[in-house]
Amino acid sequence: MPERTTDADLLASARAGDDRAFAALVERYESAVAATAAGMLGPGDDADDVGQEAFIRFHRSLDHFRGESSLKTYLVHIAMNLSLNALRRRRRSVFRFISRDETPIESAEPSVGPDGNVDVEELRVLVRRAVSQLNEKHRAVVVLRMFDDCSTRDAAKILGIPEGTVLSRLSRAMKELEALLAPYIDSGAGVPETIR
Amino acid sequence: MIDHDESLANDPLAALVRASAPERFESGFRDRVAARLHAERQPALPAVLQRQFLRIVPIAAAASLMLAAYNWWGARETSSSPIEAVLNLPQITLASAYSPSVLYGAAAADTETQ
Repeated sequence: MPERTTDADLLASARAGDDRAFAALVERYESAVAATAAGMLGPGDDADDVGQEAFIRFHRSLDHFRGESSLKTYLVHIAMNLSLNALRRRRRSVFRFISRDETPIESAEPSVGPDGNVDVEELRVLVRRAVSQLNEKHRAVVVLRMFDDCSTRDAAKILGIPEGTVLSRLSRAMKELEALLAPYIDSGAGVPETIR
Repeated sequence: MIDHDESLANDPLAALVRASAPERFESGFRDRVAARLHAERQPALPAVLQRQFLRIVPIAAAASLMLAAYNWWGARETSSSPIEAVLNLPQITLASAYSPSVLYGAAAADTETQ
């Protein structure tokens, strides 16, 4: 399926029962849904399940999608709701998994390359881990605004909160992240140019 | 309302967080979604049972009606009530209920006559 095919064309084909068109939509929006699900739940089976479920629900509601919001926002909305439900289930679960939230961030000291910069991939893992240490409300805002690049308005709509609340939560979340990541940002082990 | 968008645009921490977004699921995600979609299209057992049941019900009802009509037609003059006729119930009186053939079976009736 050529990349230039528009969402509207793919949607029309998917509605007509074209599985290849739907697969193309899955491929196109996998990253947005992954950013939401894995951002909220951490990498692993839970996030994968939420991702799959988000697309299955989207498929069920193909005929109801009227395009009032962008397809990305629509999918992110589904994925966020499912992620929040999964987090609630996790909390209710009697047999709790050892949460990666409890893993101290210092336990994964990133290696510094010969150029004095922290390994990019390791730094990203550290940032994701720091995001996972935020409380659920702050994490949701960071995931939507920073990972998914949603507008403040869309984030507010998805979370069902006022825009002002999104901004204040984001501001507090960024301060928390700054504190968590300070050793890597302020230290000599610098952030590589590629992600500055 | 203060929008933090502009301040975040030049914030190195914001850039770092943005660049750290999880990009993809484990490889084969598209296939896993397709497989789940396929599985969802396969009818579930309760749905199959319901469909089969709905198919069988009219046939069973028609057969029951035919049997009832047949019974009624054969016993319409001998039965005391239409229900007995429809259900093909044998006529039982107090005397016949206590007869040896009913109480002890056909063999006992035979020995009695001998």
